[in-house]
Amino acid sequence: MKQTLVTGNEAAAWGARLVQPNYIPTFPITPQTECIETLARWISDGELPGTYFDRMESEHSVMSAAVGAAAVGARVFTATSSQGLLLMHEVLYIAAGMRLPIVMATISRGLSAPVTLWSDHNDFLDQRDSGWLMFHAENNQEVLDLVLQAYRIAEDSRVLLPVMVNMDGYVLSFTDEPITIPSPEMVKEFLPKYTPKHTIAKDRPVTVGPPVLDEYTIFRAQNHVAARNALEVMEEVMDDFDRIFGRRYHLVDEFMLDDAELVLVTQGSMSTTAKAAIMEMRDEEGIKVGLLRLRVIRPWPAKAIAEALKNAKAVAVIDRNLAPGRGGIMFPEIVETLYNLDRRPLVSSFVVGLGGNPQTEHKVKEITRKLMDDLETGRPRVEWNDVDVNDMDVNDMEGL
Amino acid sequence: MQEFKSIRDLPEQDYFTGGSSACAGCGPSMGLKLALKVLGPETIIINASGCMTLLPLYPNTPLKASWIHNAIENASSTAAGARHGLDMLGNRDMNVVCYAGDGATYDIGIASLSGAAAKNERIIYICYNNQSFGNTGFQWSTATPYGSETKTTPRGKDNPIGTTVVNKNMLKIMGAHRVYAATASLAYPVDFLNKLNRAKERDGFSYIELLGACTAGWNYDPRLTVRISKLAVRCGMWPLYEIENGVLTLNKDFSELKPIDEFLKLQGRYRALPQDGVDRLQSLISEHWTELKEYNGLRYV
Repeated sequence: MKQTLVTGNEAAAWGARLVQPNYIPTFPITPQTECIETLARWISDGELPGTYFDRMESEHSVMSAAVGAAAVGARVFTATSSQGLLLMHEVLYIAAGMRLPIVMATISRGLSAPVTLWSDHNDFLDQRDSGWLMFHAENNQEVLDLVLQAYRIAEDSRVLLPVMVNMDGYVLSFTDEPITIPSPEMVKEFLPKYTPKHTIAKDRPVTVGPPVLDEYTIFRAQNHVAARNALEVMEEVMDDFDRIFGRRYHLVDEFMLDDAELVLVTQGSMSTTAKAAIMEMRDEEGIKVGLLRLRVIRPWPAKAIAEALKNAKAVAVIDRNLAPGRGGIMFPEIVETLYNLDRRPLVSSFVVGLGGNPQTEHKVKEITRKLMDDLETGRPRVEWNDVDVNDMDVNDMEGL
Repeated sequence: MQEFKSIRDLPEQDYFTGGSSACAGCGPSMGLKLALKVLGPETIIINASGCMTLLPLYPNTPLKASWIHNAIENASSTAAGARHGLDMLGNRDMNVVCYAGDGATYDIGIASLSGAAAKNERIIYICYNNQSFGNTGFQWSTATPYGSETKTTPRGKDNPIGTTVVNKNMLKIMGAHRVYAATASLAYPVDFLNKLNRAKERDGFSYIELLGACTAGWNYDPRLTVRISKLAVRCGMWPLYEIENGVLTLNKDFSELKPIDEFLKLQGRYRALPQDGVDRLQSLISEHWTELKEYNGLRYV
């Protein structure tokens, strides 16, 4: 075990190093590059003797190769971002449908066009119906810890599904943070050797990915049930993680919720800024505000979310993503989760931080004040916090 | 290495048995049946979406070997992953063999194929070329020969030729990757399986392209599959040759080619091809044949 400064990309690479995958197919894309470069350097230095590091011709090929390797029983790791994740999209469904426990770090970056290198969550959330399990980390320690947990969960026979561990590009991927890197012995205790259940073997021919007729619904339902099973498995794994590594994780991350009347629902690294703003608002203004961070996006931890929000009077869902013509992606998910509660809070929606637009403490406070207004008027709002979209000229290419 | 001299030498054992859903007279199915005689059951066939994808239909399969169907454009990359997965798990003896159509090879999957070939992955790639996107009902691909009618290049008032694009020279492309590249024919199974045996022995990538006569798409009587395959070779539509280390070897040489008309007249897809179209196709074939003769035994790419 050692304390060290690492970036989010390096934290993901450390996670991979500690689980010793058999195969790492890669393709470079900003801001993921440093993750695979780190692994490539370790491979060249002989640090990962049981791993084959492959350089593919596209992200589509990366995920295809991951499927091929996982289908023969190999433990696989990879990482990507943004356009690369979208290029994989087709094969992500196939990996989940084949029930292959691949683990992938995704480093969020906004999608083209226009081009941005900075982070928002559209790339990650675009995969929400793919059948993958989806974690979203807040900081670099969590990136490493979730990669380790991801393998335990993915390889559990009640689950057997691929897992994504997301971090925000730049804010985490390229920022050094002090983290604890666990010892290989502790990881060995936490993560047993992978014994594949349905794999191709020399003396046992297996058909993977054939067409089916009426059974299609059954296979899809199995994918769903396996994903639902993952909630229970995640809780077990998080308990065991705490026992071995002494760091406590839950399905959702609750911050100052005990007496909170106002709750901000967030994802990823902006949660840290929001937490700082919340502490200030509590200290300086006595506002009873708290935060619920969505750590697990798939499977959807509805019970944990409803439980955490049941005493809130007003909730602001802060979406760092956009479904054009719809709004924030997580807003309707939260509303649906709360709809059948006996007493449900007012829920407002804020779309923020697209293409890395910084979410400062000031902006978080602004949202909180708007939420207080909404509670007073009893009217929730659906709003953008960074830009005024009323009377917007959709053809204005100048004067921006 | 085992060298077959005649068809009597070929292994009797089959790993492609009954219960296939393919058409009667299906060339690509015959090709896979032949290939598995040499490859055996310790083989993973990586299939690209196409006609052959329907061979296994849950919960049945006519195959006694392993099979992975991923998608259409990624057989090579899936195979690369399977190869390295097997190798890292100490399972180096299993064969990893792609079996993909021409659309999946020449067109949508060429990036993945080029990547695996350039890295010289220990994979055998068999392209069963039925000169079209066959499973979707016979549409044009860049392997479709000049003058063939397809569902997306129908002959009409403004286009009497049908396919006007000249097909890609895939062997040259693959040869330029410095891998073993060869053509093969259902009418010459000894040549095909000897090439496959060579590929099996190689510590690297091999590309074998088998003309997969397609009774439904080419529109001919199913009993003619082997005859048409033979005519394709005799008429120069499908010369048998190989490229290794850039050097070309013509495997079946003829002092004179039969006129292409003998190949064309048995197939509905060339019916109504005007004479100037036949002439242009004949000149394209003659040009290619002359080039192969000229480079026989020499550095070709």
